[in-house]
Amino acid sequence: MDFDFSPEEQKFADEVERWLVANHDPVVMDHHRENFSQLSDTPERRAFMKKLAAQGWLGMSWPQEYGGQEIEGVYEFILTEALARHAAPQIGKGIGIIGKTLIRHGSEKLKREFLPQILKAEIEFAVGYSEPQAGSDAANMQLKAEKVEGGWKLNGQKMWTTSAHFADWYWVGARTDPDKPKHDGLSLFLIPMNHPGLEVQSLPTIGKDTTNQVFFEDVFVPDDYLVGKRGRGFQMISEALDLERFTMFTLSPIAGRTEVLVDWVKRTKRDDKPLKQDSNVRRTIAHIATDTAVARCLSTRFLCAAMGGGKPPSTQSSQYKLFTTTLSQRVCKDALDITGHEGTIMEGQEEAPLLGRFEGAYRATMNETVGGGASEIQKNIIARRHLGLPKNF
Amino acid sequence: MNLDLSEEQQMIIDMTRGMLDEHCSVDVVRSTEDDPKGYPDELWKQMGELGLNGLLIPESHGGGGLSLLEAAYVYEELGRAMAPVPHFVSCVMSAGVLLEAGSEAQKQEWLPKIADGSAILTSAWYEPDHGQGEAGIQLEAKRDGDDYVLTGVKRSVPYASSAERLLVLARSDAGVELLLVDPDAEGIRSSFFKSQGREPHYRLDFDAVRVKASERIGEPGSGWTTWDKVMHDGIILLAAQAIGGANRCLMETVAYANERVQFDKPLGAFQALSHYMADASTHIDGGRVLVYEAAWNRSRGRSIARLAPMAKLFCCETYRETTRVCAQIWGGVAFTIEYDQQMFFRRAKHLQLSWWDTPYLEELVAADVLDS
Repeated sequence: MDFDFSPEEQKFADEVERWLVANHDPVVMDHHRENFSQLSDTPERRAFMKKLAAQGWLGMSWPQEYGGQEIEGVYEFILTEALARHAAPQIGKGIGIIGKTLIRHGSEKLKREFLPQILKAEIEFAVGYSEPQAGSDAANMQLKAEKVEGGWKLNGQKMWTTSAHFADWYWVGARTDPDKPKHDGLSLFLIPMNHPGLEVQSLPTIGKDTTNQVFFEDVFVPDDYLVGKRGRGFQMISEALDLERFTMFTLSPIAGRTEVLVDWVKRTKRDDKPLKQDSNVRRTIAHIATDTAVARCLSTRFLCAAMGGGKPPSTQSSQYKLFTTTLSQRVCKDALDITGHEGTIMEGQEEAPLLGRFEGAYRATMNETVGGGASEIQKNIIARRHLGLPKNF
Repeated sequence: MNLDLSEEQQMIIDMTRGMLDEHCSVDVVRSTEDDPKGYPDELWKQMGELGLNGLLIPESHGGGGLSLLEAAYVYEELGRAMAPVPHFVSCVMSAGVLLEAGSEAQKQEWLPKIADGSAILTSAWYEPDHGQGEAGIQLEAKRDGDDYVLTGVKRSVPYASSAERLLVLARSDAGVELLLVDPDAEGIRSSFFKSQGREPHYRLDFDAVRVKASERIGEPGSGWTTWDKVMHDGIILLAAQAIGGANRCLMETVAYANERVQFDKPLGAFQALSHYMADASTHIDGGRVLVYEAAWNRSRGRSIARLAPMAKLFCCETYRETTRVCAQIWGGVAFTIEYDQQMFFRRAKHLQLSWWDTPYLEELVAADVLDS
């Protein structure tokens, strides 16, 4: 049993930390963007990702023949947590989901076209799985892909494509085989985001940015841009979640908010008395700090299972996501309860406590227990796969 | 970073569990519930023979010299079995106090006997109308020549009827003292109380009880510092005990939920119930790693000022909440003496209230986070 990183891992963590401090840029790294800070959605953030690529830190776990270093996933975990701690963009979908899926299942043409661009951070992707009828029931995608001469014609709608308004390419699941069982009728496509048949409509959120719905009208996709085997889309999507396991969901922003709150409580007075002497505040902080420690333990448990190879740590990941996202919201709620009426002052105004960090985070974290597999879906996974209880829906 | 057990650690767990399966069945546990003595001789003997009593005592004093991490694995098993033994008071707290502040003569006299189980020492700590902190120690220890004269009341003293010595926390002019007192000394009146977790508890009335100053452990007035330090180790083990109990309670409930049918479906096929169990398992698995992290840090000589109270705070609440939701799944039978669920339910709350309760632990964590 060992709760420390190895000396080599620690050396890398220190190196990344020094680099991020040296390359600090408030335009790129903004904690007030909360979970949207992971996106490379502006020229400055894209430039930052290119610098990160120049460090050799993109695709570290990829095979050498595709420009990777074949090093253990724990290094990507360390990098991802460090980026999240600094509110910098994440290495994200290109390296993890799309890159790794192309390496395993993509044609030579697609590999040659996309992998070098991903490694150099020259390309941003949007991912389109969710639809109006495919929320928690993810395999129920209805986006229609009809076979036509030389390719496919796509019609339908996607929901919650957060990156659609700035991405270059769209990674999309569509139903190519409607007569097959729902898990076997899906295929994956790569589509340029500027395709004239795509219409991106903004869906403003109460969080820090917009998400989007995307409408498909006779979107032609050449045969070459169907990824892997026809009808294996859902299996590849599931596999990618597993390949992506070291970088899925970061703890640092949540642990960071706990630190911000503690620091604020330590130096704030109310009615001329230090806030930290208030017994209710002390009690609240004790529980937030304790649960943050437990979230870290669940992250450690998940990381250790992932490093051990073997079976994908799906139940560890579900437990971690369930506990941590619930905690994330509670930290924001408790923080606002501690700030009291001043907490209502909307973010971005000088007079708000912590410039409204928690007023904003309270809104931004609302979706964490829903997106990426709702808490109830995580509980179903834990009940069935971890506890061996029967199917319950 | 890894959570793997070494071969030796796995062996300790297997050995402990095997012995408890054989000598600490639920029937054995039940047989001690109303017994003023409160522990089975055979189980206690087995623990001594396996070296579990001397786990934390150095080899030089007849023990196994293992770290708190190994002890945590053992405590998870003791919690799982609901083992009714005076191990914590004797082998953890009393041995810990002696190791921390005892004279060589005191260590030589008591540690080998604690390690082989031939002597039980227990602690006389809580007092009526007083809290669990330093200020709660009010039993008077008045210096008189070479003696202290003890007057006051101690309550909830576990296994006092079997103890060869009481470790009494008392207040002298110098501060809190830790004194080794013969329970048969003149002036001590003892009365048995049942406790919620059915650990045998005693009220001890001290009426001008004389004890030699040489029975003091450590320098005058150093008692609370010693006690506080050993308590930080102890509560990590109690957190492990809570996890062991919670996990067994959950596993028995999962098995029941797979068998028991209502509305033509096993109970586990109802999301309302399976989600209770998923939540409980998440808290148990997270709490267990927190216990390991605290114990591992202690074994590395790092501070546990924050992790130890966090571990007991979280794991005892997890145990309590697990027994609550499991009772929902068992339904009415959980309320009956016949079924075992009530045994976990009572022990969980008992453990949470004992050896630093929730408000005390919250304050320890808050102080470390906010004041340091």
